Amino acid sequence: MIGYYISLAMRSLRGTPILSALMIAAIAVGVGASMTVLTLNYMMSQNALEHKDSVLYAVQLDSWDPNQAADTTNEIPWQLTYPDATALLRSDIPTRQVAMHRFGFTVNLDESELRPFTANTRVTTRDFFSLFDVPFEYGGTWSKEADTAAVQSVVLSKETNEKLFGGENSVGKIVKLNGEPFTVIGVLKHWNPSPKIYDLNNNPFADSEELYIPFGLHRKFGIYSWGNTNGWTSRTAEGAEGYERFLLGEHVWIQYWVELDNAEQREAYEQFLTGHIHQQKEQGRFERPLKFALSAPSEWLVLNEVLENDNRVLGWASLAFLLVCVINAVALLLAKFLRKAPEAGVRRALGASRNAIFTQHLIESSCIGVLGGLFGIVLALAGLTGIRVLAMGQADQIAAMNWEMMLAAVGLAILASILAGLYPAWRISRTNPSVYLKTQ
Amino acid sequence: MLKMQNIRKSYRTDTIETHALRDFSLEVNEGEFVSVTGPSGSGKTTFLNIAGLLETPTGGQYLLDGQEVGNLSDSERSRLRNEKIGFIFQGFNLIPDLNLFDNIDVPLRYRGFNAKERRRRIERSLEQVGLSARAKHLPAQLSGGQQQRVAIARALAGEPRFLLADEPTGNLDSLMARQVMELLEFINEWGTTIVMVTHDPELARRAQRNIQIVDGQVSDLRQTIAQPEVAIA
Repeated sequence: MIGYYISLAMRSLRGTPILSALMIAAIAVGVGASMTVLTLNYMMSQNALEHKDSVLYAVQLDSWDPNQAADTTNEIPWQLTYPDATALLRSDIPTRQVAMHRFGFTVNLDESELRPFTANTRVTTRDFFSLFDVPFEYGGTWSKEADTAAVQSVVLSKETNEKLFGGENSVGKIVKLNGEPFTVIGVLKHWNPSPKIYDLNNNPFADSEELYIPFGLHRKFGIYSWGNTNGWTSRTAEGAEGYERFLLGEHVWIQYWVELDNAEQREAYEQFLTGHIHQQKEQGRFERPLKFALSAPSEWLVLNEVLENDNRVLGWASLAFLLVCVINAVALLLAKFLRKAPEAGVRRALGASRNAIFTQHLIESSCIGVLGGLFGIVLALAGLTGIRVLAMGQADQIAAMNWEMMLAAVGLAILASILAGLYPAWRISRTNPSVYLKTQ
Repeated sequence: MLKMQNIRKSYRTDTIETHALRDFSLEVNEGEFVSVTGPSGSGKTTFLNIAGLLETPTGGQYLLDGQEVGNLSDSERSRLRNEKIGFIFQGFNLIPDLNLFDNIDVPLRYRGFNAKERRRRIERSLEQVGLSARAKHLPAQLSGGQQQRVAIARALAGEPRFLLADEPTGNLDSLMARQVMELLEFINEWGTTIVMVTHDPELARRAQRNIQIVDGQVSDLRQTIAQPEVAIA
């Protein structure tokens, strides 16, 4: 009977094209608006590292100003100072650990017509690639020594390798970064997680970096951060000058992650961090009460408010708008169905039960929902395109609809239309058929 | 076939209660052709609606084919209506945007027949009323008499044992009315029980029995089949 009801629904829609178009439009506009916002919220709250939630942790240490807590959700700076990061790197408790930050280089090739260009760069320790599941096309990461010594190696993103070497295996070739020769030791496959959980305080929805260089190069090249750098005093770097003063001062700019595979390892690492803070306190640092945090990726996303409250409110507002559209659709469906009451009366006389009439009309409203959902997807795609254009490339990753969201759009539309159709379908199924049989 | 005992039906509004049927008792035997007459507002249509399970009585007992129908659920009443009862209305009540084939298909769909069986029954019904060539026509493309024949075909397709006709010739001219009446008589000869509400005394006389309803009660049970037509005229 479902097929029969669907054919009746399509016939009915064709029979009242204007009314049907209005209902489809009401659902489509509601679904389009809500799916635009819900898609953004959904994409923003993606956690590509969910499978590592029990082993991967972002590290925070409260080395901040004793007179004023850090301006973060848990009142601990998001990043570490260079001295703390290098001290933590000396621990052998974590299975893997990463100290890193964002930087940039001017890139060119000798004897090439390619014009020099600026490339976003991640300065990091070698475990970055394994810790965040970064796939290699060619080669691999650098040696452990390069994390502390000035080794001029570089890993290229797939896109950068295509730009510089046409996509061929470039391992062993030389790339000039700020005029200095770096040897290519690895090329990544396409990798562009969104949000970038490993670096949420420098635009979580920006593209991943084009180059990756070892952490041990700081002093050789005087590398600062191209990301957020916050500081509250340089007195701990008294006597130092220039770049060294920056490195040793209370500037937080290093992002730090560790892999702790079990509870014992985590407990040991917490004791290690406690010991480190006590040690620093003895040296006049960490004047605030002892506080640190180890946050799993899902916790890190919440702490960093990647999905802001404004977005949540907007999500609810868009659903409220959909509700308004549904209410409009209820009125239109009621008008349409009651106009067909005589036909329902005839069907009742010919053996249709109330349930059959109810189901028939609910399926008709579901068909309106499917069509509304399809048009809603078109409107949502248009809305997301508009957002991408307005954001000038900053929202390309999140303002995009995947298959899951498209299915969700159709599901939402069907749900909305079923809700809209419940009362009209119930009303027509309860009408007394004899009234219409006599008057028709 | 149909047995009503002390059937009551009243309609209530905020200020007034109307008794459409009062202690209405009637028995129709299998294979009978019964006509029901009476003045407007006497309760003929209410009787027909209750007989056709479209309305439930306020009180009394109704046995259809030996089955008490008063306590049946809507689904059970609908199934019974679909399987045992055929309807013919004064206004034909064809669904305007379905062609003849699809109109006759409606009760068969609710019966749950497969496509092959439905097609067989539809084609046979259309043949019986002489409209096989018009299967793909819409009702609006037919004359009133043809539309009523389609309605009869629709009622016959389910092979009901009981046919309820509410003024089946009321919207037809005399020639077409006679054709429809002859068709109903033919159907009755096959064994289908027919109860026909009519205002037309001539048509009423053609039934085997005439029931007069006045003020919601049976006032007269007359056997018409034994009476010579000239004597009535």
